[in-house]
Amino acid sequence: MSGKERLSRGTAASLGTASRRGAIEIDRVSIIFGRGAKEFIAVDRVSASIAAGEFVCLLGPSGCGKSTVMNAVAGFEHPSEGRITLDGATVTGPGADRGMVFQQPTLFPWKTIRANVAHGPRMLGKSKAEAMEIADGLLEMVGLAAFADNHPHTLSGGMQQRTAIARALANTPSVLLMDEPFGALDAQTRSMMQESLLQIWADVKPTVIFVTHDIDEAIFLADRILVMSASPGRFISEIPVDLPRPRDAEMTLEPAFMEIKRRCAGLIRTETLKAFEQQSAALRARK
Amino acid sequence: MAMATATGGPGLSGRAGARRMANRLALALSLPLFFGLWELVSRSGVVNAILFPPPSKVVAALLAWAESGDLAIDFAMSVSRVLVGFFAGAIAGIAIGVATGRYEFVSNLLTPVFQLLRPIPPIAFVPIVILWFGLSELGKYFLVFYGVFFTVWIAAHLGVQRVDEKLVRAARTLGTPEHRMMQEVLLPGALPYIFVGLRTSVGISFYTLVAAELAGTFAGLAYRIDISMQNLQMAQMMGGLVMLGLISAVADKAFSSFARRAVWWS
Repeated sequence: MSGKERLSRGTAASLGTASRRGAIEIDRVSIIFGRGAKEFIAVDRVSASIAAGEFVCLLGPSGCGKSTVMNAVAGFEHPSEGRITLDGATVTGPGADRGMVFQQPTLFPWKTIRANVAHGPRMLGKSKAEAMEIADGLLEMVGLAAFADNHPHTLSGGMQQRTAIARALANTPSVLLMDEPFGALDAQTRSMMQESLLQIWADVKPTVIFVTHDIDEAIFLADRILVMSASPGRFISEIPVDLPRPRDAEMTLEPAFMEIKRRCAGLIRTETLKAFEQQSAALRARK
Repeated sequence: MAMATATGGPGLSGRAGARRMANRLALALSLPLFFGLWELVSRSGVVNAILFPPPSKVVAALLAWAESGDLAIDFAMSVSRVLVGFFAGAIAGIAIGVATGRYEFVSNLLTPVFQLLRPIPPIAFVPIVILWFGLSELGKYFLVFYGVFFTVWIAAHLGVQRVDEKLVRAARTLGTPEHRMMQEVLLPGALPYIFVGLRTSVGISFYTLVAAELAGTFAGLAYRIDISMQNLQMAQMMGGLVMLGLISAVADKAFSSFARRAVWWS
């Protein structure tokens, strides 16, 4: 499948209601860095329709531009060509309608856990009491109610990342953007975080775009996986994940899971090799 | 294993204990030895006791200074100069530093001028300051301000620029408007750097104080040292040095413990 072609709507689209917010259109978006001889095409004419409430994973080798696509949806990068719309409105910059969780928790170290989560509502003009109430509710949901008065550095990496998720949800965004949020966690914590993320998503139902290079993680979480090529980043394949929900860790051992994994692994291996060759060539050229 | 610890344990811990004891003794003896040797050397006649008075005479001079009432006045004058100059320099340095750190326009306008003025040692301004301000207190404030301002300015400037861009991005996705970014993210994020600059400035403000007082005034700790020199009151001079050392050490300690509380997360 070519990157120029529009990918079809995912399975969740048929389940979504028309009134729900969070539908994203990525329309032939290219992102080019630098100019002249230093020009670098990070993302090459990618298109996708993501339905409101859908969970989509962007899967690809490192350096393929998947984070760049996500940053463009967040409004931090501006497409050189094409456009991105959220519920019909063109994305021009970051906004509270798109919550974001980064690879590092990026909590404000000088604020308590509760104040971190309350930050968004406070910025949107909610009263202190209201914002604290929202924060306490979310901390309850992510299992950190007992740590509301702690400061970030006293919490483990997993707990900090839970706080970051709660903080990103505090403005009830229609879209949750997650850039390898569990990449820095150990395997056990990561698998626990994946399960609790799915629970949170089932409760709140935002549209989720989740960037990862971990095939198992993508299959476990997603309604649909968009596989990206090595640089310049294109969407080379769309893999629907029609595994039943709710999902648990047991599911990763079932034949249906394995079958999807086999498809992804083949694609990813080819692209990873390509990415490796590109990176070695670039290093050699620099010498 | 258990046997080894049972037999080797006491011997080992005994030796380690002895070493710990010796180390503690060295710490306890450091100052008494220093003052004892000083007393001995100056009383022995090896050196000129007038130019090199023993610590006992220095203490006596300090007491006489205190009894005359001059010590309190000198102390108050010096401390007030440091406080006024330090706080004025710190406030201006932080305010302008966060502005130049965040806004390229402001930085382009001011940074070249500041980089031109910053390397000039504040002491070199003493002659000009005398012409501008005479022997007034304003001149003293100005010199201390000058020394503090540039150090705090550059710390705040760099501090704001070194705030993790991811924190700023996170704040933006949470709906933080640009005009609140300074107060919500940049200033607290830069505080650890700003405090390093402020602490350095505590020391600088005492250096500049000395230069300012030597240039001409009517009271102050460094002024007293200068006057004692003219009267060849060596013990009084050394007492002045001790006072200056004491208050700047206390100021530094007080400041660092305040800083630990204010930016405990770093």
